[in-house]
Amino acid sequence: MNGLLTLLVLLPLAGFLVNGLLGRRLGPVFVNIVGVGLPLAAFGVAVWAWRILETGGAEPLIETVFTWALIGDHAFEVSFYLDRLSAVMALIVTGVGALIHIYSIGYMKGDESYARYFAYLNLFLFFMLLLVLGRSLLVLFVGWEGVGLASYLLIGFWFQDVDKARAGRKAFITNRVGDAGFLLGMFLIFTAVGTLEMDQINQAFAGGLIPAGIATAVGILLFIGATGKSAQIPLHVWLPDAMAGPTPVSALIHAATMVTAGVYLIARMSGVYLEAPAASTLIAVIGLLTAFLAATIALVQTDIKKVLAYSTISQLGFMFLALGVGAYAVAVFHLFTHAFFKAALFLGAGSVIHALSGEQDIRRMGGLARRIPWTSGTFLVATAAIAGLPPLAGFFSKDEILWFALASGQGGSVWLWLLGSLTAFLTALYMFRLYWLVFLGRSRMAPEVAEHVHESPWPMTSVLVVLALFSVIAGWFALPHYLEGALPAPDLRFAWPILHWALILFAVLIAVAGVFAARHLYGNGGQRAEAIEQRFARIHRLLAGKYFVDEVYDRLLQRPWRWVSDRIFLRLGDRLLLDGSLHGLAALARRGAAGLARVQSGSLHWYAWMTLLGLVAVLIWMWRYV
Amino acid sequence: MDDTTLLLALSGLLFVLGLVGVIVRRNLLVMLMFLELMLNGVILSLVVFTQLLGAEAGAVLVFLVFVVAAAEIAIAVPILLLLVRTGHTLDPGAYAGLKG
Amino acid sequence: MTIETVFLLVFALGALTGAVAMFFLRHPMRVALALIGTMVSLAAIYAQLGMHVIAVFQILIYVGAVMVFMIYAIMLLDVRDRSFTERFSPLLLAGIAGLLLLLGVLVDGLLRGQPFPAVDVPPDVFGVGAFAIAFMDQFWVYFALTAVLLLVAEIAASAVIDIRRRGQDVAAGQAERENGHG
Repeated sequence: MNGLLTLLVLLPLAGFLVNGLLGRRLGPVFVNIVGVGLPLAAFGVAVWAWRILETGGAEPLIETVFTWALIGDHAFEVSFYLDRLSAVMALIVTGVGALIHIYSIGYMKGDESYARYFAYLNLFLFFMLLLVLGRSLLVLFVGWEGVGLASYLLIGFWFQDVDKARAGRKAFITNRVGDAGFLLGMFLIFTAVGTLEMDQINQAFAGGLIPAGIATAVGILLFIGATGKSAQIPLHVWLPDAMAGPTPVSALIHAATMVTAGVYLIARMSGVYLEAPAASTLIAVIGLLTAFLAATIALVQTDIKKVLAYSTISQLGFMFLALGVGAYAVAVFHLFTHAFFKAALFLGAGSVIHALSGEQDIRRMGGLARRIPWTSGTFLVATAAIAGLPPLAGFFSKDEILWFALASGQGGSVWLWLLGSLTAFLTALYMFRLYWLVFLGRSRMAPEVAEHVHESPWPMTSVLVVLALFSVIAGWFALPHYLEGALPAPDLRFAWPILHWALILFAVLIAVAGVFAARHLYGNGGQRAEAIEQRFARIHRLLAGKYFVDEVYDRLLQRPWRWVSDRIFLRLGDRLLLDGSLHGLAALARRGAAGLARVQSGSLHWYAWMTLLGLVAVLIWMWRYV
Repeated sequence: MDDTTLLLALSGLLFVLGLVGVIVRRNLLVMLMFLELMLNGVILSLVVFTQLLGAEAGAVLVFLVFVVAAAEIAIAVPILLLLVRTGHTLDPGAYAGLKG
Repeated sequence: MTIETVFLLVFALGALTGAVAMFFLRHPMRVALALIGTMVSLAAIYAQLGMHVIAVFQILIYVGAVMVFMIYAIMLLDVRDRSFTERFSPLLLAGIAGLLLLLGVLVDGLLRGQPFPAVDVPPDVFGVGAFAIAFMDQFWVYFALTAVLLLVAEIAASAVIDIRRRGQDVAAGQAERENGHG
């Protein structure tokens, strides 16, 4: 049906407008109906569009809405493009998004800006759909910036708290750095190819007409954009701070959907990266480094949401590792499974925080498993999924990534696989550490908090159950196979099934080893962990300080820039040059006017005499020069 | 010196005398009359050139200037009367309030 | 020197004498009479040039309308103030300097200028008939415009007088009130 994709995109926008303009006046019931109903409707439309796509034999649906600009021969059109890749993304965005909207009913209950919250969340969905459905890089970029805006608004949702407002700004500004790269990449593509329609760009690069240097430059520039949005080194610093926002926001934007936009972008532009092996190698290395370093940081964090944030960064690193070795479909597969179990983890964390009346420090938790069984059970399932225990979702996707890290013909190597496996071990370790500290062992809660512990209301727990269910079964969809037509797959260096099976077994062993290590360290009151912590105090400080990246940025960038801003731009440029010259001009005008005012004496004779002088001057000039 | 030059010199002289008269005389009515003198000087030059070129349009223009002069004096004199009514003097030095 | 030139010279001298006399006469009425003399001399010059229509209008409009109006104003405003006792403004010397300057420039201009070509004019061009036909045939729009202009001037003049009368009423009212309080 024509107009279906447009409808899909516009539904959340309508929710934003209605809730943003009227929500506060019409009350929470109305806000619920609009704010949750429209995303659900969008999910329905997405499923419908997906059915049409499948009945049409996976032939991409293209829907042109209008021509944005016509410059010379180049038409910039706003058009939507639905192939299997964007269909998967749209389904994740609307599906997980709708679930999180439902969860938010319980979580945000009684907040004074209830309507504003749902308006922002719907705005986010609108931009995210624009991002995944846009056919042109330009539309994608509008969505890209838009989700950044929604992220900024939602991180700083409780803007009365200065720290939270500052975290929002940090996210926004860090993303600007990446966006600069993205924009430059777009410019370069347009110069080289002459269009911004992504399917045509891929074809042009695949045709081999574009020089390899340009492909490499474009690849690196777009990847810079992706590091900003997807929190990869060196632009990862905003994501942990972004946890200042409401927890459902962290689940939706900063775990399941928005931060995966970079993965989507690179998968979408796979045609470019096939021609740019150097850029691909860079992606793999950065992705793996990010995965490993973030996992080590996650080992020692004490804030439940920060642990999950670093876990997200780490998992995104895995996805980029897959992208870097050419396994685009596998990256999207991990994106897909990650969306469910990470959303479940974040929402479970939200439920814990809700139960403990706002407590986020895992050192003051423990023993919650029996008090909040639903949350605990779903959290356990999701933890197992992310740790890679079979047959849960994370096992399948992560195993695929590790296999391609070793076996891919496009840059796979033993080193990637080794470090990736180590990171997988760390993943299992830090996730079960979290589970042990929060749900098992003895209670370390403050007594007045412990009294009020309560299971969350049904809108929250039911969503947790649904997400946990998907954390189990999401890996059973053979997504890489499904995406074969839409995304290129790498050649294998060796196709020995025995090796593959051996690797799978090894991966399982690693995950189990991680679980047992966590049990060993944190099982009986965490004494062994403390002993290690004291023995390696310096390393612990380095990890707890997150490798001091923020501090380094502060020293290297922020302080010199502040000095330049203050001394050169403010004092020299603004105050001295601009203010000085303007004040000088004003003073000149005032003094000149005061002088000229004296000429206007009010005496008629004087005026007539000056007329005479003027006449003489005009006559002299006329007879001399005319 | 031919007739035309003579008349043009007279025209310029009348204009200059009118302007200087506006400057040097103190009485507002007299100043107004000097303005008329200036206008007469200008009209004289217009007439001379009209005659020189034999153009009817010039004659019409002179007539129009007459009418404008009449309209001007019809406005100027009531304003003067009003001024004297409030200021009780014809000395423009008394009306120097409008200054910068 | 032809007789026409002699006449022109005589009338030009008359006009100049009237203009110069305007400087020195103290009473505005005498100044007005001097100006009328100048205007009549100019009318004579116009007649001499063969432009009888203009000459007639000069007498009719300038002497007959403008100057009569002016004389009424002089008679109405019988104010005896500094402008009567002191003929000249404070800018007398500056004005004389300006006069010399302007005259110098004009003489310079006249000396630089080319001599004018003498043009023979058929006498009937500026006759009343020719003028009337030209006026009504070609320039009737301007004729209408002058009529409108005169009408506007008349309305404006009566409006000014109306303001004056109301001002008087207000002043009279104020005076009454002051008297009442006193």
